[in-house]
Amino acid sequence: MKVILLGFGIIGKGVINVIRKKKEYLKNKYGMDLKVVAICDRSGAAIDENGLDLELALRVKEETGKISKYPEKGTSLPIVEVIKSIEADALIEATPTNIESGEPAKTYIIEGFKSGKHVITANKGPLALYFNELLSYAKKYDRIFRYEASVGGAMPIINLAKETLAGNEITEIKGILNGTTNYILTKMEREKLDFDTVLKEAQELGIAETNPHQDISGLDTAAKIVILANSIMNMEVTIRGVNIEGITKITPEALSMANKGGYTIKLIGEVGENKLEVGPKLIPLDDPLNVKGSLNVAMLNTDLAKEVIVVGRGAGDVETSSAILSDIINIYLKSKKMG
Amino acid sequence: MIILDLELKDAPGELIKALTPISKMGINIHSVIHLREKKVDGRIPVRLVVDGLEDKTLNEMIDELEKLDVIITKVNNSIRKRDIDLVVIGHVVDTDIRDTIDRLNKYGLVIDLDLSMPDPFKESSARMKIIVDSEKLNDLYNELDKLSKEKNLLFIKSF
Ligand SMILES: NC(=O)c1ccc[n+]([C@@H]2O[C@H](COP(=O)([O-])OP(=O)(O)OC[C@H]3O[C@@H](n4cnc5c(N)ncnc54)[C@H](OP(=O)(O)O)[C@@H]3O)[C@@H](O)[C@H]2O)c1
Repeated sequence: MKVILLGFGIIGKGVINVIRKKKEYLKNKYGMDLKVVAICDRSGAAIDENGLDLELALRVKEETGKISKYPEKGTSLPIVEVIKSIEADALIEATPTNIESGEPAKTYIIEGFKSGKHVITANKGPLALYFNELLSYAKKYDRIFRYEASVGGAMPIINLAKETLAGNEITEIKGILNGTTNYILTKMEREKLDFDTVLKEAQELGIAETNPHQDISGLDTAAKIVILANSIMNMEVTIRGVNIEGITKITPEALSMANKGGYTIKLIGEVGENKLEVGPKLIPLDDPLNVKGSLNVAMLNTDLAKEVIVVGRGAGDVETSSAILSDIINIYLKSKKMG
Repeated sequence: MIILDLELKDAPGELIKALTPISKMGINIHSVIHLREKKVDGRIPVRLVVDGLEDKTLNEMIDELEKLDVIITKVNNSIRKRDIDLVVIGHVVDTDIRDTIDRLNKYGLVIDLDLSMPDPFKESSARMKIIVDSEKLNDLYNELDKLSKEKNLLFIKSF
């Protein structure tokens, strides 16, 4: 199986490391010979139809910051041209999230389908804004579209709901889908510190981003809730339809107050019948949704299995790449059947 | 047989207080089950099983209990009342807390109010429980939304 990787940042590098680590495993278990035929970043691409030397690619990126500096096979060809002209089974899209336009990822995904490739993405932007449009391209070109890593990082949720829980109707999903806000609230609660202090500390530790707006405003959670609503619950909603409240107004006093009543406060994303919202909620201290630190958690309410709860790591290079790898394997197995 | 789910304060004598009017009315109590593990916010759920009653007697009994501040959450498993816990953040006191409570009391009953004011000039927070008829729940949520916009208060609700 041949893949093209778009984006060579935290996740892109994580994917390459995971592929290197699992090379033998994939061969032995699935008989799969996984080759990365192109890697792209903002500088251009490295292309080798017989498979790139992944260690070399990582070293070049580390030393020069530019994949186009890959010896002999580096190029400054625009990414869209790479997608169109290089033959591959699947495209792995790991470029930055843009929650206003979904670009450039949206274009990359569509070009991927148009040129006959299956697509895997970790990117919330295009999914939250153009889910149905992207899905219609996948259908039109008869390709597989997978996006497990886009919600909850390593925590399995989309494929769990669509495949493992097949036959169940899912009536409600709620949970903590953003690790940064969970980290901040957990720390404020434990150490009785105010929001700004904890945010600054989280930024220094690299847990919160330099621009944490999307996380703390609830926008990131809203994008994920929209993806779940559309992909699992067959709704047709966009991020503009979500009622959003962030965590910037939460105080340590409010957390103590909640604790006195047997609760904690968590930023919860919720989708259900007539409900699409993100906001701080009181969660009983002994509730399974009360997970600490930067963990993510989701509860799916289903007609047959009733409540199903998953907990996992919502971010991290190797962790998130595990979800991408599971999508790669799934596509490999399915396309073998498709012939 | 009728099953009643009650919520009692976690204090000595609360159960006897609730059972007294029932036995005074000559109603036969079959069993009293404490659901201690489901305790939320200082209240203990108790399940009573009593003899079958006519609607009129049942309603009289419910009235008597409610007069005593006993919360009846379910009758024969159909939900009558919900309780919602809230933490409020903002200028809770300065934005006329009396008015806030009065307006919520139009749809439910605010109980167990607790206030914390770290500094008179800073935002404060409060905790309260609201008992509301199931059918008035949406009205209550709408009022909370209105209050939130008008007074710039953040209401953090339980599920
Ligand atoms: N980090 C996580 O834990 C995590 C978890 C779940 C999902 N995700 C999602 O995964 C995606 C990648 O995240 P990341 O953390 O790896 O981001 P990142 O470290 O910022 O890496 C982004 C990569 O995309 C490249 N890029 C930037 N603009 C581009 C463009 N216009 N066209 C093509 N490539 C472009 C960058 O190139 P240069 O190297 O040249 O700058 C970089 O290699 C995002 O959509 C994110 O939301 C991340």
